Amino acid sequence: MDKILQDNLRKEVKALFEQKKVDLVIGYETGPTKFTTTPVLIKNSEEADRLVINDFITSNLAKMLVKIKGKAGIVAKGCDSRSIVSLIQDHKVKRENIVIIGVPCSGIIDVGKISRLIGKEPDEIDDITREKDAVLVTSGSEKKSLPLKEVLYEHCLACDLSTPAECDVLIGEPASPPLDKVASLAKINEMEKMTAEQRWQYWKEQMQRCTRCYACRNVCPVCYCERCFVEESEPQWINIAPNWQDNLIFQVIRSIHVAGRCTDCGNCERACPVGIPLRSLVRKMYDIVDEMFHYKAGTNKDDLPLMASYETREAEELIR
Amino acid sequence: MTTSSISERKKFFSQNNVYLPHVCVIEKVIDETPTVRTFHFKFKDERLQKEFTFESGQFGEYTVFGVGEATFCISSSPTRPDHLEVALQRVGKVTNAFHRLGVGAEIGFRGPYGNSFPIDSLKGKNLVFVGGGIGLAPLRSLIWNVIDNRDKYGKIDIVYGARSPADLCFKYDLEAWSKDNTVNMVTTIDRPAEGWNGRVGLVPAVLEQVAPSPDNAVAIVCGPPIMIRFTFPALAKLGFTPEQMITTLEKRMKCGIGKCGRCNIGPLFVCKDGPVFRYDQIKNFMPQEY
Amino acid sequence: MVKKIKQADIGKLLERWAKDYRIFVPSRDGEITRFDRWDGKDTGFLSIYRNTVVPAKSVFFPVKEEMFSYKKDSTGYQLKVPGPSMSKKLLFGIRPCDASALAMLDVAFKEGYEDPYYLEKRRDTVLVGMTCLRPYDSCFCTSLGGGPGESKNVDIMMTQVGDEYILEGITQKGEELLAGVEYFTDASEADISRLRSVKEGALKQITRKVNVKDITQRIYDVIENKEFWETSAIKCVSCGVCTFFCPTCYCFDISDEKEKGTGIRKRAWDSCQFPVYTKMPAENPREEKWRRVRQKVAHKYAYFPTLYGGTISCTGCGRCIRLCPVSWDITAVINSVPEKVTTESK
Repeated sequence: MDKILQDNLRKEVKALFEQKKVDLVIGYETGPTKFTTTPVLIKNSEEADRLVINDFITSNLAKMLVKIKGKAGIVAKGCDSRSIVSLIQDHKVKRENIVIIGVPCSGIIDVGKISRLIGKEPDEIDDITREKDAVLVTSGSEKKSLPLKEVLYEHCLACDLSTPAECDVLIGEPASPPLDKVASLAKINEMEKMTAEQRWQYWKEQMQRCTRCYACRNVCPVCYCERCFVEESEPQWINIAPNWQDNLIFQVIRSIHVAGRCTDCGNCERACPVGIPLRSLVRKMYDIVDEMFHYKAGTNKDDLPLMASYETREAEELIR
Repeated sequence: MTTSSISERKKFFSQNNVYLPHVCVIEKVIDETPTVRTFHFKFKDERLQKEFTFESGQFGEYTVFGVGEATFCISSSPTRPDHLEVALQRVGKVTNAFHRLGVGAEIGFRGPYGNSFPIDSLKGKNLVFVGGGIGLAPLRSLIWNVIDNRDKYGKIDIVYGARSPADLCFKYDLEAWSKDNTVNMVTTIDRPAEGWNGRVGLVPAVLEQVAPSPDNAVAIVCGPPIMIRFTFPALAKLGFTPEQMITTLEKRMKCGIGKCGRCNIGPLFVCKDGPVFRYDQIKNFMPQEY
Repeated sequence: MVKKIKQADIGKLLERWAKDYRIFVPSRDGEITRFDRWDGKDTGFLSIYRNTVVPAKSVFFPVKEEMFSYKKDSTGYQLKVPGPSMSKKLLFGIRPCDASALAMLDVAFKEGYEDPYYLEKRRDTVLVGMTCLRPYDSCFCTSLGGGPGESKNVDIMMTQVGDEYILEGITQKGEELLAGVEYFTDASEADISRLRSVKEGALKQITRKVNVKDITQRIYDVIENKEFWETSAIKCVSCGVCTFFCPTCYCFDISDEKEKGTGIRKRAWDSCQFPVYTKMPAENPREEKWRRVRQKVAHKYAYFPTLYGGTISCTGCGRCIRLCPVSWDITAVINSVPEKVTTESK
C-alpha cells in the first residue's frame, strides 16, 4: 500500500495526541521477521513513527479494545472496523471511548501464498513490491511477477467493506482489493460438491491436526467470553484432550457462537499454526446468516445484535 | 523440606507407576458443614493399608472414577493409622461427584506427596495453630499428631474461626480440644449469630486478642488466602519473626509431583517443595502469587 | 569416526537401520511438517531442509496420550496401564535445537519422581542430527550455547555437503551405528575441511541475537515490575501456540474421559498462557495476562536455570516467533530486560 497512507497516519496520530483526543493508539509496527507486522500500543506522539501501513497489516486489532483503559485510538481497515461495530453492538466497547482511524484497504498480501507459489520461505525472499495488478517478488537473482489475485488473502477477494464506514477519520482515498468472490469461496464450493461422507472424512483429517491451542478463538475479536464453553466443567461440553471429535465440535460450536458477529476477517485461519482451513466453516456460516437474515455483521452500530433479537416476521414454520 | 525421600515413597506406587491410583473404599462419611464432608477410607489392599505411612501436612491425589482427580491433604494423623481421612468442600465437578459417594464406594488414591510440617523442629516448642474454615484440615493432622505425643511439646494454643457456627469444621475435634486442659482452644465466628455465645471476630483480630507469646513459639497457619495474608502481619505485631511462621499453601494441582508445571511460585513447586512453607521462604524473592 | 554417504544411498542406509530401530523422519502432514514413522521407502523428506513445525518432543511427549484405563467389574475397579511403546527408536534428521531441548526434557521428567510415560518412550532412542544449512531469520540458537551444526546432544551428526552427507560419530552408540555400513566411505581430510566451512557458513546466517548475560538475575531484579511485564504482554492473546510448539515446554493437563462402566485417564498439552491454567475455586493467581507472560519468560530464563544448574530452557529455535498469531517476540523482551543492577549503579 501507499507510503502516503503511512505518512498520513503518523501525522493524524500525532495530532490526536497533541489535541489530547486519545490516551493511547493501537496500530501496527514492523514485525520481528520479514514481511510481518505486529500490534503495538503507543502512548505518546513521539512513538507515532513506529506505526506502519503496508501490505502485511494482517491482525484484526479490534480485540485489543476489549477491557482497554482510557480513550483509545485504533487503526482499522474495513474488516477491522466492522469487528469494532460488532463489539459496540455487544456493548463490549463504547463508541465514545474510541477514535477509529480508518485505513482504506486494497487487500492484504498472504506471504504464505507467495511462498508456496515460488517455493521459497518468507525469509528467503528479498523483496515483495506491489504493482498495479501484480506483485513483484525478488529472491536473489530471481524475479517473478504474480497476479495480485493469487497472492491476496482469500477473504480479501470477497471483501464486503474495504473502506471503513464507521470511523472518525479516514487517512486516504477510498480503495478496494480486486474482488473475485468465486475464487474466495472456491474451497467452500468444492466442499459443497462433496457427499456428506466425504465432507466428514475431510474434516476428520483436518481436525486430527488440531492441538486445541485456541489461537483461532483468541485472535477472534468477537470471542471475548471471560470463560469459554470449552473451559466449563459443570457441565463438561467437550473433552479437554484434543480428540478429533471434540476438536470438530469445538469448531462447529464456535462457528455458531460467532454467527451474526463474525465479519470474515480471516484471522482465525491465519492464526492456526497447523494450517486448518477454518475460514471454510466461519465463512459458510457468514453466508448462511446473510441468506437467512439478509444481514452482514458489523455494518450498523445501532443495530441490535442479530442473534439477540427477534422479529415476528422471522417466525419459524416449525414454531407457528 | 522433603522429609521421606522420593525413593522411599516408590514402594507406595501402584504397578510402579507414580500416576496410578490405588483403589480405596469409603468406610464412613461425616457431614462437617453444608458444603464440607469428611470421608474415612481404607486401601482395598489390606497389606498396603498396614504398611502405608505418611506425615502431617502431606497430601494425596484422589480419584472419583469416571469424573476426575483432585488434590486434598490427608486430614487424619499418622499416629492413628487404622484408616485415612480426607475433608473436602464441594466447589466443582470432582468435589460434587465425591460428595455423592457413600459408604462402600470406591475411590482412587495416590500419595503421599509433598513435604510435611517440620515436626521434629517443633519439639519442645510452644505451638500456636491458626486456622480458618476448611483450613483446619491439614492442621488437624498435626494437632492430633502433637497431642498424641503431648509431653514432647510445649504450650498449645489453637485459634480457629469460620464464617458462621454452621461453617465450623471438625466440631467433634473442637469439643475434644476444649475439654483438653493442656490445650487453649479459642473458637470464633466472623459475625454475631443467634445462639452463639462464644467469641466473635475475624481470626487475625481474635489472634491479636489472644496474644500468644512469641517466646520459643512457632505459629502454624492455614486457611483461605485472605486470612493467611492478614494473619502474617498480625503475628508479626505480636513479635513473631518470619522464621517462626509456617503455613501450607494451596494451588491448582494436577500431577502432584512437580511435572505438569502449574503449581509453581517462581522456581518452587507447591506440590513438591511444599505445600508446607516457612514464611521467610516465600516472603521475598518469589513473585507474589500466593 | 567421520563417514560420507551419497544422498542416493540414504534410503538403503535407513533400511539397514530399520532392521533394529523404528525410524522417525521429518514428514509432511498437510501444510505442516512433523516427525512421523518413516514409511520405509520414500526419502523425499530430505527436501525438508528446515526445522519441522511440530517439535521432536511430540515423539516422546505426544499431544495427547493415555495414562491408564479403568473398568468396573464385580470386584470393583481395575486399572490397566497401556502396553509398552515400541522401543529402540531412531530419530533421523533432528535439528540441534530440538536435540538440546530433549536433553532438558530428559532432566525435567526424570528428576524427582520419574515420569514413566516419557522415559519409557525415550529410552533406547538414537538421535541422528542434521545441520541446518539455512537457518530462519527467527533462529537464535547461537546465543543459547547452540548452533546450526552443534552436535553435543546427538549420537550422530549429519551435514549435507553438495550431493553427499557427512556423518560424524558423536557418542559411542553413534560410532557403533556408523561402523561396518557398506554405503559409507571414510571422510577424507578434504571432506572434513569442506564440512567445517559448511558449518561456518551456516553459523554466519544466524542474525538474531539475544542478550542472556546474567539473565536469570536480571529477571529476578524485575520480577515484580508490573509495568515492564504489562508492556511486554500487551499484544499477547493468551493462546497456547508458543508453548505447544516450543521444544522445551512440557506442561500438561490430566483429564478423565468416561464411557459406560469404563474410562480412560489422558494427559494432553497444556499452556501456562491459558487463563484457566492456574484457576482455583477461590481465586486465580494468574488472572492478569502480564502474570502469565511473566511466568513464561521467567520460567524459561530464570526458574529453570535456578533449578537445573543454569541451563536456560530455551534453545533459540524461533518457532514461537514464527508461529505466534501476533508475532510476539521473546528475544525483544529478553533484550529489553535491564542490565544487571550492580552495587555502583544502585
